[in-house]
Amino acid sequence: MSGLSLHKKIEEHTGLLIFGILFVTALGGLVQLLPILNQDSLSTATANSHLYTAVELTGRDIYMREGCSVCHSQQIRPLIAEVERYGPYSRADEFVYDRPFMWGSKRTGPDLHRIGGKYSDDWHRIHLLDPRAVIPASIMPAYPWLEKRDASQTGNVTAKLRALRTLGHPYTDEDIEAAEADLDGLKEIDALIAYLQILGTSYSEETAL
Amino acid sequence: MEAVSENTYHDRIVIRLIQFSVLWAVAGMLAGVYISAELIWPGLDFGQFWLSFGRLRPLHTNGIIFGFGVSALMATAFYSVQRTSHVPLFAPKLAWFICYGWQIIVLLGGLSLLAGWNTTKEYAELEWPFDIAIAVLWVSFGIVFFGTIATRKIKPIYISNWFYGALIIVIAMLHIVNNLAIPVTIDKSYSIYAGAQDAVVQWWYGHNAVGFLLTGGFLGMVYYFLPKHAERPIWSYRLSVVAFWAFAYTYIWAGPHHLHYNSVPEWVQSLAMVMSVVLLAPSWATMINGIMTVSSAWEKLRTDPALKFIVLSLAFYGLATFEGPMMSIRSVNVVSHFTDWTIGHVHSGALGWNAMITYGTFYFMVPRLVGRELHSVRLANIHFALALAGTLLYIVAMWAAGVSQGLLWLSVDQLGELSFGFRDIMASMTPYYLLRLVAGLIFLTGTFLMTYNLFMTLKGQHATKVTVPAVNPAYGV
Amino acid sequence: MGSGIYSFLLLKAFYKPFEAFTELAKVDPSPISIIFRYSLWLMLLPPVFSLIGAANFGWRLGANEPLMMGPNSLILISVGYFFVLLFGLVTTAIISCWMAGTYGASESLGRHFALITIVAQPLAIASIAHLFPDVLVNVLILIPTLIWSMYLLYKGIPIALDTPPERGMLMASSLVGWLLVAAVSLLGISMALWTMGVGPLLGV
Repeated sequence: MSGLSLHKKIEEHTGLLIFGILFVTALGGLVQLLPILNQDSLSTATANSHLYTAVELTGRDIYMREGCSVCHSQQIRPLIAEVERYGPYSRADEFVYDRPFMWGSKRTGPDLHRIGGKYSDDWHRIHLLDPRAVIPASIMPAYPWLEKRDASQTGNVTAKLRALRTLGHPYTDEDIEAAEADLDGLKEIDALIAYLQILGTSYSEETAL
Repeated sequence: MEAVSENTYHDRIVIRLIQFSVLWAVAGMLAGVYISAELIWPGLDFGQFWLSFGRLRPLHTNGIIFGFGVSALMATAFYSVQRTSHVPLFAPKLAWFICYGWQIIVLLGGLSLLAGWNTTKEYAELEWPFDIAIAVLWVSFGIVFFGTIATRKIKPIYISNWFYGALIIVIAMLHIVNNLAIPVTIDKSYSIYAGAQDAVVQWWYGHNAVGFLLTGGFLGMVYYFLPKHAERPIWSYRLSVVAFWAFAYTYIWAGPHHLHYNSVPEWVQSLAMVMSVVLLAPSWATMINGIMTVSSAWEKLRTDPALKFIVLSLAFYGLATFEGPMMSIRSVNVVSHFTDWTIGHVHSGALGWNAMITYGTFYFMVPRLVGRELHSVRLANIHFALALAGTLLYIVAMWAAGVSQGLLWLSVDQLGELSFGFRDIMASMTPYYLLRLVAGLIFLTGTFLMTYNLFMTLKGQHATKVTVPAVNPAYGV
Repeated sequence: MGSGIYSFLLLKAFYKPFEAFTELAKVDPSPISIIFRYSLWLMLLPPVFSLIGAANFGWRLGANEPLMMGPNSLILISVGYFFVLLFGLVTTAIISCWMAGTYGASESLGRHFALITIVAQPLAIASIAHLFPDVLVNVLILIPTLIWSMYLLYKGIPIALDTPPERGMLMASSLVGWLLVAAVSLLGISMALWTMGVGPLLGV
């Protein structure tokens, strides 16, 4: 039986086994990833895409650092109940500047993709410093250190913008030079709130795909 | 490092890796219990950033997968590859480098997570310096493992080695591709992928990390240790061949089932759904192989607590590999996505399958490694009851929580308006979270018992020197 | 054998399950008789209790107000509940009988039906908790009952089906595996049906 004798060859030869495994396991990835990575509409900015400013990017990095995406998703599914609760469902072009994506895999707290503009800055401030002050039954942790740390302590924002530019984000030289100064006088909590307040706001029904 | 004769197996390293694995199990599960308590009493972080849920959660997942899981896989891989190849480990110094190097990565990596170095990509949260270190160590692991196989004295490569081999090769491929990023500072990098493209790459990685690390590697454990334990060969060789290749091929496609109804092309979601359902067959083929092998060895259950763990682990493996494909179906996923049902599914696998098979294997290996009886069979039996109870309770609690959340989030009334507010729904989760906390405590207690039992067995003992047996010329190289 | 075993089962199995198992090992009852004289009545308890509880108190899920449903929904749920329990009992007994050969256990189908019913009996009776459909109350009562039922399964199989304890343990574990798969399938099928419109209103 040639099937089993072919297999006998593979299982008696280290190199063939390694190659066989690599070949068989690479296939699925190639078929799924290559078309997706080559699909321009998934990575081309449109009117719905928002390039993060230095302050917003800092806020996003704080969001990442604190692990917010572990409880909050940023992906509204095209389901009636979800659109009613959170707003228009998420489109791919809204995420072209998200490195990495943060769609999340769990909602312990509500989806935040279109949280921008829904609550005031003051509400966010109180909520982040003590969630139970505005939502008594909330189980969200408090983040008191965010109002103590300067936004510039989050990281080297100039280097960040430069790195993102090499990846294709259209930051101008002025953007990059002004980045550090943009953070002057701001605490981390301000940057985070700035990020939260733009989430989902670039989307417009008229320009939606 | 004592001189090891040319012809004895390197088993001290196996013992060391088992010790580390058990310690990480305790640490990782403690973290798990703590964060599950935080979901009930959020004040348990005492306002400290290093106790904050968002930072402890990846500590838990990384500690368990990379600390507990990988150390166990390395220990069992090193043990079994030597014996199935009839040669001592290839490049033993490199193996020791891997052993300690890995623990340092897990420890420092864990601390970096507390410090907030976090890529937020699940099970790939460690930042780029650690990614490089992991890649170096992983290649070394491959060298030692495949080197041992390449220098073997026995002609055929036994099936457990195919699974460990697939673990090594696939994780290398996934790790390198998914973690490609532009470094900015030592603690920060930006993924070269963005948005929807990043999502597909991440879940190609994430799902197959589960597939080849948590499933494939541990199947390698089953294929070696179960026949040894039961003192019978695997029930069907032919089935195991088909199951291996079908498993290795099919699993890779399933990633995008994490992205149903998300903003990625529909074709990749549907393709993943179909392949996930197909995956049920090779998974259950292995389960059946295992169950039939152990069924004929039933008398050993009387005296051997470890075998109980193996039997139940196969049952939970069956559950988890059935539940996964089922949750990959769109109309079920619509309810389960983003809910605690996903968490329940993860833990039916992690507790019921991974932890139990590892515990059973450790209870089998440790006494043999030092040539004496297990310190207490009674404690091991109590551990079994605790592990079973904890796992079942966890699953039931999360099924209830997940289904409630999913359905209540989707509920609309006759006018088409939402029936329930998000806050009210989440507030009603408390009883389930309490149950889950109790379940975790029960499971952790069992783990403590095992830690004590194994360390008492190892206390003051040295690895027995095992001479490599002669090879039957019929199978010789 | 006559009707003795059945009345024995109904009463004794409740407070002396191990004696019931021992008696069961001596007989080969007819599966149909077991179902109609014993199992069916037990399977009626949970749906009836849940109907009464839901109609009077509504489902209390821990959120603010209880969820009150109209009579159509309530009856649909209770009838569905009954058929699911019946389906579960019948399939588990049949699968148990199918597995029996592998584990050297008795292959009398009637005995398997009786065994599974005895194991499920504590849960059927504890379903009285459904009279007050609060999640926490039901969970606190039914989970310890479930633990007791599983204990009955592991201990009862070797006695009732006449096989060594170790083989009984393996068989019980396989049945637990089946039950887990059945439970999760039930979850999945219910979800699939609900999202396709068979069930309460959902905005998918």
